[in-house]
Amino acid sequence: MGFLAPWFLGGLLALGVPVFVHLLRRHVTVPRPVSSLMFFERGVQSSTRHRRLKHLVLFALRTALVLLVVLAFANPFVRRVAANTNGRLMLIVLDNSFSMRAGTHFADAKQRALTQLAAKPKTQRAQIMAMGGQLQILTQPISDSSQLHSALEGIQPGEGHASFGDLGRAVRALAETVRTPIDVHLFSDMQRTAMPSNFADVVLPVNVTLTLHPVGNGAPAPNWTIESIDAPADLADPKDPRRSRVFAVVAGFNTPAATKTVNLVVNGKTVATRRVDVPANGRATVEFAPLDVNYGFNRCEVGIDGNDALPADDASVFAVRRSDPERVLFVHAGNDTRSPVYFGAALKAAAGSSFVLQSVAQEEVTDFDPSRFAFVVLSDSVALPAIFEHAVTQYVAKGGNVFIALGTAAARRAHIPVWDGDVTEAHDYARPGADARTGAAAAVGQVDFAHPALLDEHPGRDNGGWAETRVFYAAAVDPRGTRVAARLNDGAPLVLDKQVGLGHVVLLTTGLENLTNDFPLHPVFVAFVDHIARYLSGTERLGQARLVDSYVQLRPAANSGSEQGSVEVIGPDGRRLLSLTEARAARTLRLDRAGFYQVHLANGRDMVIGVNPDRRESDLQPIAEDVQRLWSGSAETGASQTEAASNPEEKYRPVSLWWCVMLLAFLTALAETAFASRYMGTQREEI
Amino acid sequence: MQRFIEPAVLAGISSLDLVAKTVVDGFVAGLHRSPDFGFSQEFAEYRAYTPGDDLRHVDWNLFARTERCYLKRYRGETNSQLTVLLDASNSMEYTSGPPKKMDYARFIAASLFYLAIHNQRDAAGVIVFDEKVRDVVRPSTRPGQLARLFAALERAEPHARTDFARPLHHFQELLHRRGIAIVISDFYEDPETIVRAIEPLRFRGNEVVLFHILDPEEIRPVLKSSAILVDLETDQKMEVIPEYAKTSYRARIDAHIERLRSRTRAAGMDYELLVTDRSLDAALRSYLALRKERN
Repeated sequence: MGFLAPWFLGGLLALGVPVFVHLLRRHVTVPRPVSSLMFFERGVQSSTRHRRLKHLVLFALRTALVLLVVLAFANPFVRRVAANTNGRLMLIVLDNSFSMRAGTHFADAKQRALTQLAAKPKTQRAQIMAMGGQLQILTQPISDSSQLHSALEGIQPGEGHASFGDLGRAVRALAETVRTPIDVHLFSDMQRTAMPSNFADVVLPVNVTLTLHPVGNGAPAPNWTIESIDAPADLADPKDPRRSRVFAVVAGFNTPAATKTVNLVVNGKTVATRRVDVPANGRATVEFAPLDVNYGFNRCEVGIDGNDALPADDASVFAVRRSDPERVLFVHAGNDTRSPVYFGAALKAAAGSSFVLQSVAQEEVTDFDPSRFAFVVLSDSVALPAIFEHAVTQYVAKGGNVFIALGTAAARRAHIPVWDGDVTEAHDYARPGADARTGAAAAVGQVDFAHPALLDEHPGRDNGGWAETRVFYAAAVDPRGTRVAARLNDGAPLVLDKQVGLGHVVLLTTGLENLTNDFPLHPVFVAFVDHIARYLSGTERLGQARLVDSYVQLRPAANSGSEQGSVEVIGPDGRRLLSLTEARAARTLRLDRAGFYQVHLANGRDMVIGVNPDRRESDLQPIAEDVQRLWSGSAETGASQTEAASNPEEKYRPVSLWWCVMLLAFLTALAETAFASRYMGTQREEI
Repeated sequence: MQRFIEPAVLAGISSLDLVAKTVVDGFVAGLHRSPDFGFSQEFAEYRAYTPGDDLRHVDWNLFARTERCYLKRYRGETNSQLTVLLDASNSMEYTSGPPKKMDYARFIAASLFYLAIHNQRDAAGVIVFDEKVRDVVRPSTRPGQLARLFAALERAEPHARTDFARPLHHFQELLHRRGIAIVISDFYEDPETIVRAIEPLRFRGNEVVLFHILDPEEIRPVLKSSAILVDLETDQKMEVIPEYAKTSYRARIDAHIERLRSRTRAAGMDYELLVTDRSLDAALRSYLALRKERN
């Protein structure tokens, strides 16, 4: 603290005025003569003291007034850390991923983050982020410590999977937006699995300084978990030995060899127990068969006993629906007898007893109601009865799904039922003079393995089995407004997905028999039929288990909400997650918590989803220290450039206090006026 | 003329005789004519002659008309003797504004002397005292008496303190003839003591009047803050708070006045409270009333 105009302090000599008036002059008392003291009595001492006290208060006020006025003219100032002058932003990132539930990791990290925040200069701006399943920006860059403190206090341990790659991207985006030096303080357990495979994803810009605050003692604690579960989502026959079983993989991270007890709990009751020997840092598979469940949705859980570092991952949940086999309407041309055979065989081989295929010639399908079937297959059926075609169109509009395979009949009749499009031309690759690129047959060039009908998480080098497939004849359709899931090597669409109303129509531009292609003769055909059956019947969405922070689609994305019904979602805690407005408009739902979600879709279907935390969070192994040093030193160049500027002891700026002092002087003057007029004014004498 | 009787105006007049003349003339001019008022010889009654009566009083005119001898009786000359006992102690020096109590007392005394000698032809004298008799001018109607009295009043400077008991026997020696004795003082003494000291004057047939001179602030003192008060007679100091002066003191001085009034009247004496901010006619009126009673 100092004074910008110290020579005005000479005005303090004016303090002598109140001192003289109150302390010095007061001793010179002129006695007052009276005729006689006969009727007088000496005054009570306490009353005199009281009056003297009032005068002392007045003296103090007057002295303070003179002092404050002099100080105001001397212009006092305080030295403030000029942290915001160079604009460094403190970014506090608190990891609240699932792994932070281990021990006291989260509490320790939060406490250290609060300590870091408390050490922040008041004028420095800071921002709070929570790194769980998604990177949450909890505050804007502000300097209000209380708001930052409350934001940090409000972070609770989550169940998501942390990703340092997401953090790196967010910080890079923030650095481009803020354009000021950023000090990133990361409070985390530095889990190895949160590190992306590409280190470049976590490299920070040069104006960012990263400080890591790892929690835990460095040595990872042993932890067992149910790493994965393989269970049927839909079960028609519990006695089916191929499907009525549950495989659970017990994994140990940094664990010695141990024998673990694994329990299968269905609807709250333990129905089976297995003991399994888990090797050190290894995995073991446990099978529960048969899976005896009741009709409807069954909430199942596989758990292991024993305490470890992260008890929250000792159980995994999944849902199994038991229902009668669903019927599939297979409409084929009258002269086509091969396609129902191939499709039916594949469906039986893949989905087992979940579906029953009912094949009908297109001329005889008039009286069939499509809504009674799980989905409808139109195999080379381009000349449907008008009534049935209308019924199928309505069926799709209300949420039904149709699979259309275009055979040779498409060349004769360009109209494609339900599809809302025509065949533009037919590619006959087998005829002489065909495209030189394809030769006598076209191969499958591109496959979208992310499409539910072609789903393959780890497709092989043979293009997921599609490389051997040969297509001799294919119809060409306009792909606009559709999702092309597979193309031939000449670029012609092979599998297209189109949303019509609330339903989906999947179009295969070639047939299901072995005349227009050899697709049914390859193993990938069974997988394709399995996937297409589950996709179109909706059972794939009933799915066994999802991960936290995944999304579930509540209604088709392309349709307007006005013509749809409302959806309803009941969360793991038994509460409705959507408001009435959201229930009529929400298209997707983020599953941000572990447990069972009960969902009533807009098309009337119900499903129960078991949601588990990402099992990568169970591996508590931290990042190697050299990698941590490498990461935090990745911005070393920028840090060294800004080191001098960030030295808080060198940057101060004077903040003048004259207006505060003047305000105090004004208030003191008011108080002095009030006191003086009350106690020193002329008193009216009552005679 | 009435305004000249106001004490504040009189304080500006240095000459006592002028003050007295101003007061008395103004006072007399303001009186109504009264059948009881007159100082010449007046016929009173006829009485039958009896042997031994003085023949000088026989109404010979009536004897000539009726041959009966009657005595003609007149109201006799009723000259009175006025003696003023003036307290000249230090307490009479107090003032909260002109005039001082001592000056006010001088005005009253001078006015009484002027009224008595000039208008009434009464003998007038003065005794100035404090704790003892300081000055004495014996009552007389001789020429120059008024000047002597005024000179005595001029000399009467306050000092010492009041003591009624000690100069009492001097009063009795000086007042051996009946008359009117007027005691002018502020009477800062116990009423019992005062009455006991002055009461013997009454026994000699004197009419005794107490003129109690007080300053307005002695009755309603004003203290804005606690103050140190000094007794003018004893130099004793005392710190007094305004709350006391506003409440208890007033009650005590009022009680003192009332007690003095009741005790003096019980002793057959008259009492008159004269506040220095009021006109002097009350004092003159009181004297005339007493003189009328004596006649």
